[in-house]
Amino acid sequence: MLDLLHQVPTAFLFFLAAGVILLLPHGLMRNTVMLGLPIIAAFQVWTLGMGEFVTIPFFGFDLEFMRLDRLSRIFVLIFCLAAFLGNLFAWHLRDTTQQVAALVYAGSAIGAALSGDMISLFFYWEGTAIASVFLIWARGTEGSYWTGMRYLIIQITSGVILIAGVAMFYADTGSIAFEKMELGSLATWLIFLSFGMKCAFPLLHNWLQDSYPAATITGTVILSAFTTKLAVYALARGFAGTEILIYIGTVMALFPIFFAEIENDLRRVLAYSLNNQLGFMVVGVGIGTELALNGTASHAFAHILYKALLFMSVGAVMYRTGTSKASELGGLYRTMPKTAIFCLVGAASISAFPLFSGFITKSLTLSAVAHEHYTYIWLALVFASAGVLSHSGIKIPFFTFFAHDSGKRPAEAPLHMLLAMGITAFLCIFIGVFPNFLYSILPFDVDYDPYTMGHIAGQLQLLFFALLAFAIIYRRGLHPPELRAVNLDIDVIYRKFMPSVLSYIAFVIFSLFKGTSLLLRFSVIKLTSKLHHSHGPDSPRAASWPAGAMVISIAALLGLALFVIFFS
Amino acid sequence: MAKKIIETPNTYPVLGRWMNWVDRPGNDRRIFQILIVICIASFSLEWTYEKHAYFDIESYKGFYAYYGFVMFAGLIFVATILRKLIKVRENFYGKKSIDTEDYPEDQIQRINHDA
Repeated sequence: MLDLLHQVPTAFLFFLAAGVILLLPHGLMRNTVMLGLPIIAAFQVWTLGMGEFVTIPFFGFDLEFMRLDRLSRIFVLIFCLAAFLGNLFAWHLRDTTQQVAALVYAGSAIGAALSGDMISLFFYWEGTAIASVFLIWARGTEGSYWTGMRYLIIQITSGVILIAGVAMFYADTGSIAFEKMELGSLATWLIFLSFGMKCAFPLLHNWLQDSYPAATITGTVILSAFTTKLAVYALARGFAGTEILIYIGTVMALFPIFFAEIENDLRRVLAYSLNNQLGFMVVGVGIGTELALNGTASHAFAHILYKALLFMSVGAVMYRTGTSKASELGGLYRTMPKTAIFCLVGAASISAFPLFSGFITKSLTLSAVAHEHYTYIWLALVFASAGVLSHSGIKIPFFTFFAHDSGKRPAEAPLHMLLAMGITAFLCIFIGVFPNFLYSILPFDVDYDPYTMGHIAGQLQLLFFALLAFAIIYRRGLHPPELRAVNLDIDVIYRKFMPSVLSYIAFVIFSLFKGTSLLLRFSVIKLTSKLHHSHGPDSPRAASWPAGAMVISIAALLGLALFVIFFS
Repeated sequence: MAKKIIETPNTYPVLGRWMNWVDRPGNDRRIFQILIVICIASFSLEWTYEKHAYFDIESYKGFYAYYGFVMFAGLIFVATILRKLIKVRENFYGKKSIDTEDYPEDQIQRINHDA
């Protein structure tokens, strides 16, 4: 039985399950498959050991469907865990589209992480794009339809750029193996750009903040786990130690914290926060040392959990109140205390309080940066850590569950949501208290102790003094209030400026065309009527024409034709 | 304008009733005072261990405390200015965005706590 299981690529297990659930009725049976499958998949990967397992020939290429090493294993395991928790959170769902999409999406992300070659990577890469968009469309509103379209265009473009890069890479090197690459040729730059689009690099990031708040309540929890972390994995696999990533990652860690601070939609705040967290991971990939890559992988692992937990808690609030706008919420701890506590655990984890998961993972990356003596990068990342506290640590729990009382008294989240949040919260604390559990499955052996007095004291000071700053600013009424408004980001270029410039250009071209054709028509009519007047049957000239004029002219034409045929 | 919201703690779940402590009169000041005590305590940790700083700046006593405080305040200050520059009305993107849409009622389960 186990042998049989080991012969099936993990991704196919998910695709198979996506087919099977179509045959099952809604409810217990279907949900059991949805929950059981990620456990089976994780078990398969865990018992399989390291190596390359399933190779399938495809048009003269050997596609490697199961490359398991320590880097891919940790990503696959966390993807399985995220699928399990996301499906548990969505237990109440009776929507086949979303359930199938969730399984195909998770399967594609896992397949991509296990791909040993770039052709199967491409297929799975597009698979994540196509499956995930249904989690946005499932909301079923006009806004989500258009948002899904924008999302799909960008995701598919990323895939198209990837396959272009892969084709050129094959032409250059004769290889499709997905291994470490050097930036230098157009091929590798294209592959890098494709990864960067999915990873939400600065200026390419807006699909994330645009689409995640538009998905369904359960869809956003699923979305938050896979696409971007797959891109982080791809970068770690293909471009570890590429210096430009250090600077890209730093910008990524910095700029979203300002936007998150003033954003009203809490799910969009979390999307900005996600972007900021990806920055830390990208810096780790850019440093590229064993310590840094361990930092990236462990951060991705912990991040998927606490980010899912935060999306779940805001989702649970939305499930009960219908909104995720900070301006409409507040004071909900009164009747949703358990959700509030789980949210606080997520907030403490992402803010990297000691004993929570963020602390033991982020300090790996920061230590790696310090170890390589990037002073300014280190200072920027420490600042970004304080920034994380501001939006995810304070803003999300404080303005949802505390702060001014909105008067809303929703019931506590349903049991399955509480269970999903409870397990995730437990894992966030467990990883923080027992770091060696996570450290033992990292890509490289870890010789690191996060709980030194220096780390603990430094982090506590950073966080508590930042909290103090918040408390003073808030009590003085200087904190930016929660307003019903939208903040412009770079996407205004393609959502507003470019369409208006294009429609302006279209208007100019259309007017020119219409004017010219009118002018032409008018002059042709004028010319023909003039000719008719001077040469027509009623004109004075017609009176002097010989009756045989037509015969003569036809004879002349025939003669000309004969002449041409004779000489050609 | 804002309607008066009445606290009815006896209808809250037990956990919510306990947590309601934070909203009792005078307790916001108490929380603030506790925070100050924690800050002082965390600052005083500086004298309990020997620093192994990677950078010169890190070796100053209380570097993280100053840095956290100043940068956090700076962040909020800059964000406030940023909002002035980029804030637009909520329906700026119109129907092609979810900004002003209500979440579909058939996908949620609105239940009041005491219902």
